[in-house]
Amino acid sequence: MKNWDPRIEEMPKEDLQRMQYKLLKSLVYRLHSFSPFYHDRMKEQKVHPDDIRELSDVKKLPFMFKRDLRDNYPDKIFTATQEELVRYHVSSGTTGKPTVVGYTQNDLNTWTTSLARALTSIGLGRGDVIQVSYGYGLFTGGLGMHYGAERIGATVLPTSVGNTERQIELMQDLGATAIACTPSYLLHIGEVAEKMGVDIKKDTKLRTGVLGAEPWTDRMRTRIEDWLGIKAYDIYGTSELSGPMFTECVEQKGFHIWSDIALVEIIDPQTGESLESGQKGELTITILQKEALPMIRYRIGDITTMDDNICACGRTHPRIQRIQGRVDDMLIIRGINVFPSQVEYALMAIPEVGQHFQIVVERKGALDDMLVRVELTKESFSDKINDLMQIRQKVEHRLRNSLNVNVYVELVEPGSLPRFEGKAKRVIDKRSL
Amino acid sequence: MFWDKKIETMKPDELEVLQLKRLKATLSQVQHVAFYRNLLSGAGVKPSSIKTLEDIRKIPFTKKQDLRDGYPFGFFAVPMKKIVRIHTTSGTTGKPTVVGYTQKDIDTWADLIARNMTMVGVGEDDIFQNMVNYGMFTGGLGFHYGAEKIGMTVIPSATGNTKRQIEMIMDFGVTAIHCTPSYAMHLSEIAEEMGVSLDSLRTGIFGAEPWSESVRQTLERRLGVTAYDSYGLSELFGPGVAFECPERDGLHIWHDSFFVEIIDPKTGELVSDGERGELVVTPLVKEAMPLLRYRTGDITLKMEDGCLCRRGQKIARITGRSDDMLVIRGINVFPSQIEHVLLKIPEVGNQFMVYIDRINHLDEMTVEVEINREYFSGELADLARLQKKVVKELRDALELRTTVKLVEPGSLPRFEGKAKRVIDRREAV
Repeated sequence: MKNWDPRIEEMPKEDLQRMQYKLLKSLVYRLHSFSPFYHDRMKEQKVHPDDIRELSDVKKLPFMFKRDLRDNYPDKIFTATQEELVRYHVSSGTTGKPTVVGYTQNDLNTWTTSLARALTSIGLGRGDVIQVSYGYGLFTGGLGMHYGAERIGATVLPTSVGNTERQIELMQDLGATAIACTPSYLLHIGEVAEKMGVDIKKDTKLRTGVLGAEPWTDRMRTRIEDWLGIKAYDIYGTSELSGPMFTECVEQKGFHIWSDIALVEIIDPQTGESLESGQKGELTITILQKEALPMIRYRIGDITTMDDNICACGRTHPRIQRIQGRVDDMLIIRGINVFPSQVEYALMAIPEVGQHFQIVVERKGALDDMLVRVELTKESFSDKINDLMQIRQKVEHRLRNSLNVNVYVELVEPGSLPRFEGKAKRVIDKRSL
Repeated sequence: MFWDKKIETMKPDELEVLQLKRLKATLSQVQHVAFYRNLLSGAGVKPSSIKTLEDIRKIPFTKKQDLRDGYPFGFFAVPMKKIVRIHTTSGTTGKPTVVGYTQKDIDTWADLIARNMTMVGVGEDDIFQNMVNYGMFTGGLGFHYGAEKIGMTVIPSATGNTKRQIEMIMDFGVTAIHCTPSYAMHLSEIAEEMGVSLDSLRTGIFGAEPWSESVRQTLERRLGVTAYDSYGLSELFGPGVAFECPERDGLHIWHDSFFVEIIDPKTGELVSDGERGELVVTPLVKEAMPLLRYRTGDITLKMEDGCLCRRGQKIARITGRSDDMLVIRGINVFPSQIEHVLLKIPEVGNQFMVYIDRINHLDEMTVEVEINREYFSGELADLARLQKKVVKELRDALELRTTVKLVEPGSLPRFEGKAKRVIDRREAV
C-alpha cells in the first residue's frame, strides 16, 4: 500500500489550508470558552477568537512553554473530564515534577492514525514483523509505536528495551523485518550481534529501521544503512504532542507533518518572530486535533527548517527537516554556538572514526574547553603512535573547520565509551553555570 | 455488574451446547497444525469422533515441552500475515515458548479481561495503575487492553521506581491497581516509610504468583483495598483466564472460552469435583494458536457449590504445581532453564544449588555453583569476572536478577537418587 489515506495525504494545499483554518478557529473558540488557562493567556495577549480571520492570524496567539505544563502539574490544563480520559503518560523531568500528558479515546486514535500514515509511507504493512524495542510503559515510544504498528496490521513483537542478546535471537527466529528503537540502541544491537556472530545483513530479515527519540544525522544514517543492510528512517514526536507521530517518507527528505493534525511554524527563538520557509529556527506547533491536553503554539525547543514544497512522493503536507539540535542542547563554547549533531556530522565523514563519541565541556580559568572523545573503528585502531597522532590531527582539524571552535580530541579504543538502550547521553558539561 | 451477562450467567445445558460447538470448531482449526494432525491421527481421533464433550478424553494431552519443540511457529494455525502480535514466555530450557495472536484473539482476550474487571466493580470512572511489566510479558499489555476497552483511565506505569509509583497514585487519585502480591507488600511498606496513606485506592488486582488469605488480609488493611486474585497463562492468551468475583471464594473460569478438566497428574485420569489435581484446559476460542487439552501444571479443584453471583462453576485458587516450575517475583522459572544456562559456561562445573528466599517481601534467588578447575586460573579478578558472567547469563535467560556464589569444586552436596537442587525457603505468601 502506498498511502494509508490518499484523500488526505494528497489533498491540494489550498484545501488543506482551508481545513487547517477551520480547525484552528474552532479550537480557539473552544479553548477560549472552556479552558481557564488559554482564556487567561488570550486575554493577557489581548487577542479574541474573533481576531482569527485567516490561517496566518495564528501568529496573534500566545506561545505555550514546557514550564506551563510543569507549573500546572498534574492536570490543570486538561480540558477533558476524568470519564473522558483513557490514558496518562508521564515523562520524567530533569528538575522537580514530571510532565503529565492525558489522552481521550479520540486522542489515542489521532495519534495512532498519524503513525499509521507514517509507517505506510515508509513501506511497512500487513506482511511486516515489527520489533518494538522502545521502552514500554510511561514513555510514549513503546506503546505509541505498538499501536501504530498494530493499526497497519503488522505483526507486533513487543520486546521493549534491554536483554539485547535475546532481542537479536528473537529478531532472527521470529523473522523481524523492521525494528523501532533509538539510533543509539540500534548501534548497540549491531555491535552485540557482531559479537554473537550474527550478521544482521545476511542472517536476519531486517530491512527497515524506524529510529528516533534523539537527534541523529544523515551521515550516521549512511553508516547504519551500509553496516546493517537496512533503510533507516527518522521518526519525530514528543510526549506533549502525544508521542512519536511523524516520520520521513521513502524519499528521506524531512518529516511529513500532517496538516489536518498539526500546524507548524518556525520562529526565531530569541524574538519569537515567524521565519520564512527555509530559514532555520525553533519549531512551534499547534495540534489541531487534541482533546485532553490542547497545544497552541507550543515551543517545542527543537531547531529545524520548514519545506512547504510538494514532496516527490506526492504528499502535499509540509515537511520539516530532521532536527538539528535543541535550543537547550546548544552548547555555547567561547561564545560560539555548537550543536552535538554538528559534531556527529563532522565525525561520521571520517572513515577511521567509529560510531561512538562523547563531548566533554569544561571551564579552564575563564575559558571553555571542548574535548571530544572519539572511538576508532577496529580496523583503524593501531598500536603505532604515529598513525594515531595522524588520525587525531585529522579529526581535530575537521572539527575545528566545521565548528569554528578549538576542539581537543582524544582517541579511544573501540568499545570503550558507554552504550545506551534508550536515549544516548553524549554531552558532559562540567561547567558550573 | 456484568460485562456480558448472557454469556456469564448461561445455564449449564446451554453452555454445553456452546462448548461442543466451539470444541468442534477448534478441532477443525487445529487441522492447520502439523503437530495436531499427527497427534490426532496417531490416537485414531477424527473430527467426527467428537460427538459429545466427554469424547474430548480420546484426545491426548499437549504439554509445555511440545510447544517448545514447535519453536518458533510450529503451533500457528494461521498464516503470518494474520498474526498481529507475538508474546513469548519462559520455556523449560533455552528457547522461549512463542505465542501468536490474530486481531480476533486480541479482541477476545481484551474482552475476557473486561469481564473480570467489570465483575469486581471497576469501570470507566476508575483510574487504573498497571504496575507489571509491559513488553513480552502478557500481564502488562493484557490488562492494559482490557482496561482500555472498559474506558477507564490507564496509567501504564510498568514496574520499578516504587516512590514514583506512590506519588502517581496520590497525584492522579488512582482507584485501582494491578501488580504481583509481593510487589503490593513492598509498595505498602515504602508508602509507610514515606509516611503517606493511599486514600484513593479501592481495588487491588493481584496475580502472576500464588498468594494466601493472610496476605490478602494484610494487603487489604495496609493499602485500604479489596484484593482480588487473577489467574492466567500466556499459552491461554495471558491473564484473564479465571478471576475472583466479589464473593472472593474461588476463581470463575470462563467456560464459554475454556473447557476445563482436572486430572491426576501421575495417571492422567480425571478426578471428581472437589478433588485436587492438575488443571487441563482446552481453549475454545483461540484462532492463531489453538491448543487441545493443555496441561497447565497448576494444581486446583473444581468447586462443587455454585456462586451467589450466578456465574458458572468455580475452580479453587491455585495451591501449587504438578511440576518443578518456580514462580519468582511473578516470573516463571524452571530449574532445567538454570541448568541449561550453567552447562553452557565451561568455567563452572556441573554441580549447583538454588536457594529461594523472601527478603522484605521480595523473592531473592541465590545460585551456588562450583568452579571448574580446568578452566580456572585462580586469579581473583578472573573470579569476579566469572561471577558477573554467570549473573548476566542467568539474567538474560530468566529475565531475573540472581545472586551468584562461586564455590570450591566438591563442596556442594552430591545426590545418589533424584537430585534436589532447588531449596525454596520462602514461607507461603
